[in-house]
Amino acid sequence: MKRIPFFNSPVLDRQMPVWRAKLVFLLLMLGFVALFAKALYVQGMDDEFLQAQGERRYERTLVLPATRGKIFDRSGSVVLASSVPARAIWAIPEDTRAASPAQLAELAKLLDMDVSGITARVADTKRTFVYIKRQVSLDVADKIRKLNVPGFHQLGEMRRFYPEGSLMAHVLGFTNIEDEGIEGVELAFNEALSGRAGSRRVIKDRLGRVIEDVQAVVPPVDGKDLHVSIDAGLQYDTYMALKKAMEEHKALAAAGIVLDVQTGEVLALVNLPSYDPNDRGDRKGAALRNRAMVDTFEPGSTMKPFTVALALDRQKISTNTKFDTGNGRYRFKGHTISDVSRNGTVNAADIVRRSSNIGMAMISEKLSAQEMWTAFSELGFGRAPETNFPGVAEGRLRPWERWRPIEQATMAYGYGLSVSLLQLAQAYTVFARDGDMVSLSLVKREGAATSKQVFSPQIARQLRDILEAAAGPDGARLAQVEGYRVAGKSGTARKIVNGKYSKSDYRSSFVGFAPVSNPRIVVAVTIDEPRGGAYYGGRVAAPVFADVVASSLRRMGVQPDAPIDSMVAIGPNGEKAR
Amino acid sequence: MGRMCMLLAAALMVSAISLVTARHQSRQLFVAVERLEDRSRELDIEWRRLQLERAELARNARIDHIARQDLGMVTATPDRSIYLDRVPVLQGGRQ
Repeated sequence: MKRIPFFNSPVLDRQMPVWRAKLVFLLLMLGFVALFAKALYVQGMDDEFLQAQGERRYERTLVLPATRGKIFDRSGSVVLASSVPARAIWAIPEDTRAASPAQLAELAKLLDMDVSGITARVADTKRTFVYIKRQVSLDVADKIRKLNVPGFHQLGEMRRFYPEGSLMAHVLGFTNIEDEGIEGVELAFNEALSGRAGSRRVIKDRLGRVIEDVQAVVPPVDGKDLHVSIDAGLQYDTYMALKKAMEEHKALAAAGIVLDVQTGEVLALVNLPSYDPNDRGDRKGAALRNRAMVDTFEPGSTMKPFTVALALDRQKISTNTKFDTGNGRYRFKGHTISDVSRNGTVNAADIVRRSSNIGMAMISEKLSAQEMWTAFSELGFGRAPETNFPGVAEGRLRPWERWRPIEQATMAYGYGLSVSLLQLAQAYTVFARDGDMVSLSLVKREGAATSKQVFSPQIARQLRDILEAAAGPDGARLAQVEGYRVAGKSGTARKIVNGKYSKSDYRSSFVGFAPVSNPRIVVAVTIDEPRGGAYYGGRVAAPVFADVVASSLRRMGVQPDAPIDSMVAIGPNGEKAR
Repeated sequence: MGRMCMLLAAALMVSAISLVTARHQSRQLFVAVERLEDRSRELDIEWRRLQLERAELARNARIDHIARQDLGMVTATPDRSIYLDRVPVLQGGRQ
């Protein structure tokens, strides 16, 4: 066969039209232009999208969680609340099908749950995330990780512990499962305690290891540690004293407060019944009530010293003024006011000591409603104490224009208005100090406390004497403390049941301070509905007051100011007992 | 001219290699920093845990119980105490 070189091929011999070549060239060029334009657009004009997509492949933003601050007592050495890491166990229901029954049983044992409880949670396979148990401690979580049960995973979280348990429950409150405060100090100071989470942007390698920081790290700001004003020792003593009394008198509830007279700090605040904040199941019902702060009640006789002080301060009466209280029954503006016993002709000090309602009504007649209202509201009744504590009660003090004459008389001895135990304790600082009322604090005070003058220093001194007599051998003598001079007033208030004053439900209280020569603490105690037979404040609440004062002053290292029959004759270095 | 070129090329090589080593070292140091930070976090957690444990052991209720029940101690009452003069009285409880 004759070879024909391809350029001589007859097929090529035909002449193509030039426009076809031009067309192909044009189309090719157009293609290049389009390509070039797209490249220009992607590279230069719309670069953010692709760059972001690229970064997402290797950059990660890590959240650096802040740790919640610890809470200490006033000494700074007792931890009252602290957070430690814990794990949440969660599962993908679909994947858990691969788990063997033996594995599930082991897991259930570690988690302290029933196997049926776990299988019920993972029954719905449509869901992709189910919590099995939260707040699992780290060592248990590590054991679970070793089990390697398919479908079960872990997530880091924080768990808050309260080592003092029910002792401090009402003061501290507690946090929810997200470690945010929802009660008490935890709520009141939540912002300072929580801190601020930080973040860092990093590049990770193929194995998920952090290679480097892309931007400067925003460090997490850990929550500030908080020092509350509570003293763990005094708190314990108060708690035990109240608990003993509550059991002895079969009472419904009890509350007690210890205040530092100089600084206005709350040294102890106890409510019973209490609960264990570490146990989530225990956090419910009436035990959660912070009775000392949130509940208000009619103070009864514990109000009497304030009316007497006011009358003395306005010079409406003197300490020598005599009142004839008669035979214990007194007709007053169409109502009968009665005393427990007949008191005869008495002066103001006797009225307080013998807790005469008639005497108080007679004193109130010398005062105007406006005067009384002004003094009571200066003492903090009817408005919330400035303690920034959640839910703190205001109490009830109606405007004086609307007082009926009989109400003015009953208010003089503590009926017709309502106060919280905290307010009452704060008001008593007026007598423990020089007639000025100190502001309260639940956190340890750095600077000096502010105070407001209500009565003159000399009236406060007179009332100290009157109240010392009221807690003396002829008054509520169960309030007496060995070695210390104490002053205070008992109260027995009838509770209102269905709008009427009950004849069987009482609230016994005692408020006082010690040592009288230089008062250091105010102690207020209230026992709700004692049912053990006795119900008088001087019988039920006064011994608790005495217990609390004795142990508090001992812990504070206050020297006795009353003579003691010492059992120690002479000290090792020749010191004499006083 | 030729020698100058050689010299510059060598300098360039040295600089390039040192850049690589510096980069490598920085990565290694970064990893070390990370590890130490983790360790510090772990130690902080351990400290918290121990602090809680101590608080649990030093609880007033526990100490009171041990003192009274196990050791047979009683509360010091003023009549059994000798008060020394000029002892600084602490302000508001223990400090």
